[in-house]
Amino acid sequence: MMGNILVLAEHRQGSLREITFEMLAIAPQLSSDMGGEAVVLLIGSGVDEMAVKIASYGVKVLVIDDPLFEDFNGEKYQKVISAVIDDLKPSVVMTGHTAQGVDFMPPLAVEKRLPLVMEAIALEYTDGALKATRQLYSGKVNAIVAFKPADTYLVTIREGIAEAPEITTAGPVEKINTPLKEDLDYRKFVEYIEAEVGDVDITQSDILVAIGRGLKEDKNLPLIEELAKAVKADIAGSRAATDAGWISQDRQVGTSGKTVKPKLYIAMGISGAFQHVAGMKGAKTVVAINKDPEAPIFNVADYAIVEDMFKVVPKLTEKLKELKS
Amino acid sequence: MMRGMIMISETNSFTEKFDLLGCIQCGRCTGGCPVTVRADLNVRRFVYDAYNEEKLDELARLAEIWDCTTCNTCAVRCPKGLKPLEVLLALRSMVVESGKVEPTVRDALQSVLLEGNPWEKPRAIRCDWMDGLDVKMAEPGVPVENLFFVCCTIAYDPRLQIIARNMVRILNKLDLDYGFIGTDETCCGSEVRTLGEEGLFEMLIEDNTELLNSFEAKRIVAFSPHCFSVFNTYYPDLKSEVIHYTQLFDELVGENKIPWRGELQKKVVYHDPCYLGKLSGVYDEPRSVLQKIPGVELLEFDRCRERSLCCEGSGGKMWVESHSKKERLAETRIKDARALGADIVAVSCPFCLLTLEDALKGLGFEEEMRVAEIMELLGEVVEE
Amino acid sequence: MKTFVCIKYVPDTSEAEVKVNPDGVTVDSSRFSFDINDADNYAVEESVLIKEARGGDITVASIGPKQSDVMIRMAMAKGCDQAIRVEDDRIAGHDPLIVARVLAGAIKGHECDLVLTGCMAGDDGHMATGAALAEELGFNHATMVKKLEILDGKVKAYRELEGGLMEVVELALPAVLTIQTGINEPRYAPIRGIREAQKKELKVVNLEDLGLDPNDVDAEASGVILEQLYIPEIESAAEFIEGEPDEKAEKLASILVKGGLV
Repeated sequence: MMGNILVLAEHRQGSLREITFEMLAIAPQLSSDMGGEAVVLLIGSGVDEMAVKIASYGVKVLVIDDPLFEDFNGEKYQKVISAVIDDLKPSVVMTGHTAQGVDFMPPLAVEKRLPLVMEAIALEYTDGALKATRQLYSGKVNAIVAFKPADTYLVTIREGIAEAPEITTAGPVEKINTPLKEDLDYRKFVEYIEAEVGDVDITQSDILVAIGRGLKEDKNLPLIEELAKAVKADIAGSRAATDAGWISQDRQVGTSGKTVKPKLYIAMGISGAFQHVAGMKGAKTVVAINKDPEAPIFNVADYAIVEDMFKVVPKLTEKLKELKS
Repeated sequence: MMRGMIMISETNSFTEKFDLLGCIQCGRCTGGCPVTVRADLNVRRFVYDAYNEEKLDELARLAEIWDCTTCNTCAVRCPKGLKPLEVLLALRSMVVESGKVEPTVRDALQSVLLEGNPWEKPRAIRCDWMDGLDVKMAEPGVPVENLFFVCCTIAYDPRLQIIARNMVRILNKLDLDYGFIGTDETCCGSEVRTLGEEGLFEMLIEDNTELLNSFEAKRIVAFSPHCFSVFNTYYPDLKSEVIHYTQLFDELVGENKIPWRGELQKKVVYHDPCYLGKLSGVYDEPRSVLQKIPGVELLEFDRCRERSLCCEGSGGKMWVESHSKKERLAETRIKDARALGADIVAVSCPFCLLTLEDALKGLGFEEEMRVAEIMELLGEVVEE
Repeated sequence: MKTFVCIKYVPDTSEAEVKVNPDGVTVDSSRFSFDINDADNYAVEESVLIKEARGGDITVASIGPKQSDVMIRMAMAKGCDQAIRVEDDRIAGHDPLIVARVLAGAIKGHECDLVLTGCMAGDDGHMATGAALAEELGFNHATMVKKLEILDGKVKAYRELEGGLMEVVELALPAVLTIQTGINEPRYAPIRGIREAQKKELKVVNLEDLGLDPNDVDAEASGVILEQLYIPEIESAAEFIEGEPDEKAEKLASILVKGGLV
């Protein structure tokens, strides 16, 4: 249907993923701007409950429920969505920019010869044209990308750019038959493996709480561990922290240690010598807490607190726990 | 080739190259090695074992070959004139040629190849330290008295840029004939050599010789003892004489050309950098400059000059962390300085500044003393 | 095993200030350093590890300028056997689907069991090229691969999902795998190896050489237009959080939570 947006619900191991609801904060408005409505496509096996939950946000949900879709398989998704596009002719197909979305959207675009924008952070429909904003150079530059006129536009949406909307009058749930009838022999799901615990590779961490000389003594370590636990962070540190034995050498950040690129780097009691900064400059967001207002770490920080870390950390941990619960 | 195996590209010439048969196993190399108090490095054993070609692969895999700071003490002490440390560097070369070096070493070396500095910084921003200063640039073919060569670490590390900035201010005040090279300036290769990347070092020698010779410089003034030492030792085709900046300032203070504007009423102890002292024999000039600073009372470490204790900043140690948990030599040095009652530990090398300052902070002595490069001190007492 | 490894020459902008050129659609790269894209570097290493374990032959494929030859020679020094570099100004490089089409043009017609490439480029970050390439070639694929095992006619790929979970899939070869950083530890390419690699073949080709119709891969052929680049309004300097210690802690906590940072 002209103006309709097909939103692909994302779920894993029996639970819907947050991005599904985030897209419900974007798709209804955009589809109304485009003169259509948002429709969610839920592909899975035994997903009645999920369908009801999605519908509670006031959208129509199309469900393909079949044992073939017990687990995610990019090739199967591509085939199904391809068939659904032929059938429903939506103006936009929207998925999360996730390990699932990036696996089947590009091949789908190639197969259907449809235009694709990856990891949009904003979408706007004006004067009959759909434009997406996305980011380049790790967020240093924004790009406005315009779709040329096409039957269907494909777009993946960055996680965390919107908040789930309020629940409202439930929309309808409609089951449709699976366009895919047989299992595939060329791509098979084998299993899920949980990350090994204990063996931390800080270069792969999303959040790092990094400590430096300011920790003063190892009896202060539990304070940091509690903070790290509250935000599911791994602990890293400067050379001084390694020297003091507070962290193991494989958690040292800097030119003689590891180069890290976490989404969030909380530097506490780290002055920020050039040799340390070289190892964490790729962090997306840097928070620095240091009692020295002249500490060079503040030059690379996004958020800064000039204070003795011990006066800040306990309250910070407490507040974070409270806000996150 | 099997994974993990280290290949020797040429026939083993260790015995010949390092005169291993000349070794009398007296052990003075290991006895004097400052690293032995921290790590399991026994350099004498390497000189002994490297004679056995079949053992080289095994030796190259030992972690302690990366503990050597190339302070040169072993070479200074060897009664037979051998250079035991070179055996370790040759073993490092074997690892480098296999490609299986620590990621930190890999990144530093690759950065030298691609950007001309080991700090993974773009070449284009090499001269950003000059912002706001009136710096005279040298031009190829135009005679210049003093051609300055800024060490990569001084050019890029914000903590050290003050060394170069103070230099420019004072040079301008003195109206000296000088020039800087600009963004074409490329790593001297000192650390490349000690990290064992022989091929890259050869390439740097070739390229830098051509670059430096393109300037009609009467002499090249190096900021870092490392560039200074490596130019004088490994660049046979340089047309210009190379001096360290403390030698230039020794001349200037001797001729009473420095316009002092203040005093430094401090007790200053001078730390001899290995590459200026033990490797180059420049001991007096930095002292003479410090002594001329009005107000300075110059102290001496017990272990000074040829016996100076290494700070552990050289030999590629900026990129290779020691696994030892024992006290860093730099900390020992700072404790010694404190025992002497020094207010300032003066250095004339960027690596010494970084390691000693780090040690001083680690020991929590910031309130009572500081580490300063001689150019920093001059900036405080010379008219600009 | 005949492997292709697709690599890209990208600027390192992690520290540099990025400025948009007056044309509004390119950035001033004069102060950047350039190198192989991070994830592609891991793909190169993985291809060499596979070759060392099972034998075979590796071809580097890249679209880029002459300056990127040093990156290609480094890959060859590490063990890749030959290379093909596509240099053609007509390619609409802003569209990963077009890039995939050109890379497919470089690979088609050659014997190929496996294609490896990075899962994301550090400059434009689409995370699309590898998967699109698979479709162009008619190969199977898996994205964000953090571990792999070559089996008989198959490959077992461990995909890294959000939250540290791994999804293990089995693909029939030929396949394209997009490689996640951290899958291995890339080796160093010593200068002597790079010099030695000068002897290996590096073919520089344009669209016609690949038998591609420029009209299929130019800006006209793309379904999207890069209209404008701009620098987002972000506080380049740190935001200093003021107040009593407790207030500072509370403010920071709420910034972190509301900003979706934790």
